[in-house]
Amino acid sequence: MNPFEDQIYVIIFSTLFLGGLMSTFVVAMVFIHRQRQAQNRQKLDFIKSEHEKTLLNIENEIQHETLSHVGRELHDNIGQLLSLAKLNFGSIKPEKHAAGRELLSQIIQEVRSLSKSLNLDWVDEISLEDFISQELEKVKSTGFCETSINFETEFSNLKKDEKLVLIRVIQEILNNAIKHASPNHIRISANQLEGAQHIVIQDDGIGFDINQNSNGSGMFNLAKRMETIGGKFDIQSKPGNGTLIKLTLSS
Amino acid sequence: MLKKEGRSNPHYWLPFLFVTFTVVYEDFAGYLVYNFELNKQINEILGNVENPRFNVWYYNIVNKYIVTILYLFLIKTRLEPSKRKFINWMLAFFIFSVLFLGLTGIEPIYLNQPIIFALGANMILVGSGLYFTDLMTNQKYLNTNPLRLLSFWQMTFILFTYSLTYVNSVSITYLYNTNKQLGISLAQIDLVMGVINLSIFVLTIASPKFSGIFEKEPFYESI
Repeated sequence: MNPFEDQIYVIIFSTLFLGGLMSTFVVAMVFIHRQRQAQNRQKLDFIKSEHEKTLLNIENEIQHETLSHVGRELHDNIGQLLSLAKLNFGSIKPEKHAAGRELLSQIIQEVRSLSKSLNLDWVDEISLEDFISQELEKVKSTGFCETSINFETEFSNLKKDEKLVLIRVIQEILNNAIKHASPNHIRISANQLEGAQHIVIQDDGIGFDINQNSNGSGMFNLAKRMETIGGKFDIQSKPGNGTLIKLTLSS
Repeated sequence: MLKKEGRSNPHYWLPFLFVTFTVVYEDFAGYLVYNFELNKQINEILGNVENPRFNVWYYNIVNKYIVTILYLFLIKTRLEPSKRKFINWMLAFFIFSVLFLGLTGIEPIYLNQPIIFALGANMILVGSGLYFTDLMTNQKYLNTNPLRLLSFWQMTFILFTYSLTYVNSVSITYLYNTNKQLGISLAQIDLVMGVINLSIFVLTIASPKFSGIFEKEPFYESI
């Protein structure tokens, strides 16, 4: 065999080798793609089921709180109003009867608003800003601390699920602040920056060390809940320096 | 055949440009054989007085420069936006290399240019590799069936074209001097692959009519 023939064979075999290599490459790519697709599908299913579980938990928590609230209202408010109405109707004076009728109208209004809160339709009807205002008003009315709100953006594009999660996370943050931080002032603000919406909840309470496990697990749950709606949860706190929590939602 | 917004999208007009460009290019190549005087004059301007019948300069401009650039642009449209900058760098480097190698006389335009071919082919192979990386890692590609994506077939056959003709194109001068028949036979691979690539481009242009067979490209809207 002369050197020319050798070189010709090298050229032919190199061409065949490269062709074979590329065929193997493409076939391998298709197989890997199929595998990754299956893994990806499993991962998405897992995320979906986690999301559904979280939502179910949140709905249960809200229902439980609503029922407690309804129980309290029935006992402390409507029960009292009904007793008063009974007393008024038991009187022989006509003006007492008129007062009794007014009380009955008030009771009907109270029962209507209570029945509305029994299902979760109110979540659709109320804006996030209004909900937070009401929550802060409740905190303020107890005389526990001062509150303020400043919304520079609207959360009108939120789905019901996302709104539910946000509502629950904000409620939990406020509960934590009231229970553990002893603040003089709680401030909630919202704005839109670089294509993302932010809600900042800040208190001037005693603060805490975020690296401590006892505090971390609750915060971890809140962060997980934010993740289920594609959001982020950031916290900054130091003992004696208050707490700042930032909830981020990409638009 | 295409709607107005489809016509302005490179997913369609780039393959269309390829097809029309090939028609014009082949016609003009034939004309150069017919009009010997024109070919001779251009060869003289480029510095080739020894072989005035050669139209290698035209083959180089079309097949080694323009087609490479068009293929790189096509690959760019198939990649996720964050990876497109790599193709931009490759394009800039390729154009710079072509000018440098041509103007310094290292690879005169009227002769076979294996270095420039190897550079372009390597860039196209790397670009195809980037596409296959996206295919396995990008969420949008993972949601598709690659066998029903025309971009997958385009990239596969581009990959085959350049891997099968790589050795042949680099060693073409040697082959023609030692075993001309083999050189001609291996050059047939290029022709066959060229026809297959053009057929896929035609299919791409006609794909809106076969929406039941082919899936929509994941990055159709992001260009």
